[in-house]
Amino acid sequence: MSTREIRVYKDLMGANEKWAGATRTLLSDQDVVMLNLIGSPGAGKTSLLEAMTPHLSKQARFAVLEGDIETTRDAERLDRLGVPVSQLLSGGACHLEARLVNQALTDFPLRDLDLVFVENVGNMVCPAEFDIGEKAKIAVLSITEGEDKPLKYPLLFREARAVVLTKTDLLPYLEFDLPACRRNIAQIDASLPVFEVSAMTGEGVPAFADWVINTPQTVL
Amino acid sequence: MHEFSICRDILAAALEEYRALDPAPKRLKAVRVVAGGMHQIIPEYLATAYGILSRDTPAAGSKLDLVIKPVTGRCRECGWEGEIVPPFFQCAACGALAIDLMQGRELYLDRLEVEDHEHERDQGL
Repeated sequence: MSTREIRVYKDLMGANEKWAGATRTLLSDQDVVMLNLIGSPGAGKTSLLEAMTPHLSKQARFAVLEGDIETTRDAERLDRLGVPVSQLLSGGACHLEARLVNQALTDFPLRDLDLVFVENVGNMVCPAEFDIGEKAKIAVLSITEGEDKPLKYPLLFREARAVVLTKTDLLPYLEFDLPACRRNIAQIDASLPVFEVSAMTGEGVPAFADWVINTPQTVL
Repeated sequence: MHEFSICRDILAAALEEYRALDPAPKRLKAVRVVAGGMHQIIPEYLATAYGILSRDTPAAGSKLDLVIKPVTGRCRECGWEGEIVPPFFQCAACGALAIDLMQGRELYLDRLEVEDHEHERDQGL
């Protein structure tokens, strides 16, 4: 019996990276900035987009790619506000991959858009692993999840270019330690901007919407 | 759960390489993957995923070896270089929260181990 060892050195993200690169070229040719919203189920990603819509739609033309395992409920919520939205059903997969996103973008009239938000499948682990061709990943963390979450999911907070803390209207009712949460985020990346937002009251929403419009294309 | 997604890519890459081998080996014995610590792969979960996803493929019965590389970084303030233990991305020398990652994000198929057919000249001896 003879055994042979074959050296390969093959990047396992290679195929995904190729699609992500194609998407990046497509978007930059059309001057469109794509942001990838990542957070756990129920963090308030759809609510954040709903709350930003009145503010954003005055300043930019935007569309949303909704990633979900099942149902078109989130897409319907945004469609009611008149936001162009396309639903991606991952069919059980816990994240979106670059090829699916690239194909979904063909649904949008990119030349008439400034921004595309991708609402990734609710999950703080897998979506952080996969480049989908976005300009920046945005971590969405609700205060009901606890201030320790950045430390438990360091890859997401290392990959993200901004953090949105949602549901801040609940601060008086919870034992959430906001300064500790900010320290935990800084521990992973001290340069990350952190936005405190309540989709319910609207507090903090304009500040994040302004960042979205002004920052990613110039600074990131 | 991301172990299943990663494992699907591992298998696809390993089988593509395996099928391209000439002369065709008798069987695939082992697949070695190198992953940086940032991926937070749980070896037992990856092994389970590999066992399930490799069924009914030429990789069935082969072994998955996972080599995890530690996360290392360089301090932008003082130039210190060394191992980082996530989630604490802090310089061990000066304490600055200004670490650029050097290693820990990699994920690649490193090598295959295959068993070849006996050579003809060895037969009947």
